[in-house]
Amino acid sequence: MRRSWVSFWLFVGPCLTAFIIVVIIPLLFGIYYSFTNWNGINAEVDFIGLSNYAKLLKDVHFAKSFVFTVKFTLFSVFFINLIGFLLALLVTRGLKISNFLRTIFFMPNLIGGIILGFIWQFIFTGAFGALGEYTGLKFLMGWLSTTQTSFQALLILMIWQLSGYVMVIYIAAIQGIPRELIEAAEIDGAGSWMKVKNIVLPMVRPAFTVSLFLTLSNSFKLYDQNLSLTAGGPARSTEMLAMNIYNTAFSFMKMGEAQAKAVIFLIIVGFFTLSQVYVSKRGEVEM
Amino acid sequence: MKCRYFLSLLLVFLFPVTLWAAEIEVDVFQFKVETKDVLEKAAKMYMEEHPGIIVSIQTVGGGDDYGAALRSRFASGNEPTIFNIGGPQDVEDWIDYLEDLSDQPWVELAYRGVLDGVTVDGKIYGMPFNQEGYGFIYNKTIFEKAGIDAGKINSYDALVEALEILEARKGELGLKAPIAFAPKEKWITGLHLSNVAFSQEFGDVLTAYNAKEVDFTYGEEFKLLVDLQAKYAYKPSGLVSSLNAVDYAAQVEGLFSLEQVALMQQGNWVYNSVASMDEELARNIGILPIPLKGVVEDCIPVGIPMYWTINKNVPEEEKAAAKDFLNWLYTSPAGKELIINEFKFIPAIGGYDGLTPSDPLGQDVLKYSEAGKTMSWVFMGYPSGWGEQVLGANIQAYLAGDISWDELEEICKKEWSEARN
Repeated sequence: MRRSWVSFWLFVGPCLTAFIIVVIIPLLFGIYYSFTNWNGINAEVDFIGLSNYAKLLKDVHFAKSFVFTVKFTLFSVFFINLIGFLLALLVTRGLKISNFLRTIFFMPNLIGGIILGFIWQFIFTGAFGALGEYTGLKFLMGWLSTTQTSFQALLILMIWQLSGYVMVIYIAAIQGIPRELIEAAEIDGAGSWMKVKNIVLPMVRPAFTVSLFLTLSNSFKLYDQNLSLTAGGPARSTEMLAMNIYNTAFSFMKMGEAQAKAVIFLIIVGFFTLSQVYVSKRGEVEM
Repeated sequence: MKCRYFLSLLLVFLFPVTLWAAEIEVDVFQFKVETKDVLEKAAKMYMEEHPGIIVSIQTVGGGDDYGAALRSRFASGNEPTIFNIGGPQDVEDWIDYLEDLSDQPWVELAYRGVLDGVTVDGKIYGMPFNQEGYGFIYNKTIFEKAGIDAGKINSYDALVEALEILEARKGELGLKAPIAFAPKEKWITGLHLSNVAFSQEFGDVLTAYNAKEVDFTYGEEFKLLVDLQAKYAYKPSGLVSSLNAVDYAAQVEGLFSLEQVALMQQGNWVYNSVASMDEELARNIGILPIPLKGVVEDCIPVGIPMYWTINKNVPEEEKAAAKDFLNWLYTSPAGKELIINEFKFIPAIGGYDGLTPSDPLGQDVLKYSEAGKTMSWVFMGYPSGWGEQVLGANIQAYLAGDISWDELEEICKKEWSEARN
């Protein structure tokens, strides 16, 4: 009994200490600062109660970036998982070039977000513009200059980057499906679509839970791609929540208000992701 | 084996501590990315002349990022000796950390007005980096080919006339458009262009900093400058709204350096960027005034981008070394040589007789400065974030056609007054 107690803390202790130092304590500090008028420099801060929270209720930009973030998240979660799943189906069909394709699809995920943003910025403005001039196709020109094209550009970038990643999760799940189930279905005369719908989809439910969670929280907390691709422009219309918080803190220098926003942000992300996990968990089937 | 491993680890930890004890370390935390390499070179030269002092340079990119990084440096307890501030707002925020520099020898050499932004109750807290000026940078070769005399462009109407000639003959001159305009960079419109109007409304940076309200006294004239650039600018899709996708790189390194446009609103800091693209071109460029119609039409804004400050909470000998380093850099013969020829700075303090900027943009700024044809920089006196996130962002909305100019003025006035009251 005593031995297991020792090994329990030996394993959990270091992790827990790190977690408390870099997550829990800053979180508590953050909550404390959200009730103050701290400017990020001075040691003396005044406690001002809930007025930071009252201010953010009236902040139109915060509301706008919330709506934009939710819209973006809905689209990106849907498309990333759809495309990731389709890619996984494609590369598990036993094609000769499967391994090659897997590598290619996963590759975008190896590039950092900031760099990706700049690469795609060049593609959208430079390459699209040149193509547009050459072919005379008007819709290729002036990308990133309107809210609509900036939104689509962000979406394309995220789908391109994350589809390969969730693909890997789906591949693992699909390969974990017992061969005999599929064979039995084949003997019963099921076609490709029937197999996917009645066997593959239910069997990979746990992978859906994980992938949905990952893409949901990643899209919600997106910052670097947002910064390097659109920087919130034009006219702050593609500013997502994380960037809105950063700007409040470091452009407007309102640390307290930014902290209050960050606390609200934490609650929102927690609510969305936890309820998603709860809902998707319920539909999982046990073997 | 284990013991040796442990010992070496201990040594690694102790090493910096022993260094600390033996020498004075001046820790510089600065924002000017363009001059990172030469500043490091200057530090090395200084260290060779002054054994026992270590000058270490750390550079973090300009604008917001520097402010954020500086705050975290101080919050972490690892406070730098020398750091940078921008203007009155920074002085107020950082006052508990600023050493009074009023007794320094360079103070009496400083040009008139350059210390206003960092003077509180007669005490001077910052040393000016350099002077910078901006206007419409133009391509002399293209102007000659088009038969335009740049010397005569000293009014709004003359500028419009020149733009019209360029527009009419852009085919034969090989231009995509007369001018490159980059409103995606909110500082180009929200800070620099707006400064032309607000320097006339406020006069100087401290008045702007203390102003409870902004009136847009010259709002109409400011609008003319935005509209003029939008009209004659290269627009990626042909629509005005597509200007919102044009950024600094597209404007400076793309359109202007490839000679696809003849003009752009930029400052003398772009010289190195243009030269790295096309040295021949970089020798043949100059600066034209930004005319505020009917108000001032032949001046360019010249100001101080940033100030050096010394942390007053570090040990005395470290402070003394820091002051000596800055003095050496800006007033010793070797330092002056560096400032002019390597940093390519236009000094904000006197005593540089016989040393003139080597690049044509710097020379032009100096010419305007000597002729008294300058206006001050007041944008450091705008409320935090207002210039870029409010005015600059709303100019994007105006160009996209989402709001009218009147609405823009309304929104910006309201945000200013909310920030100040």
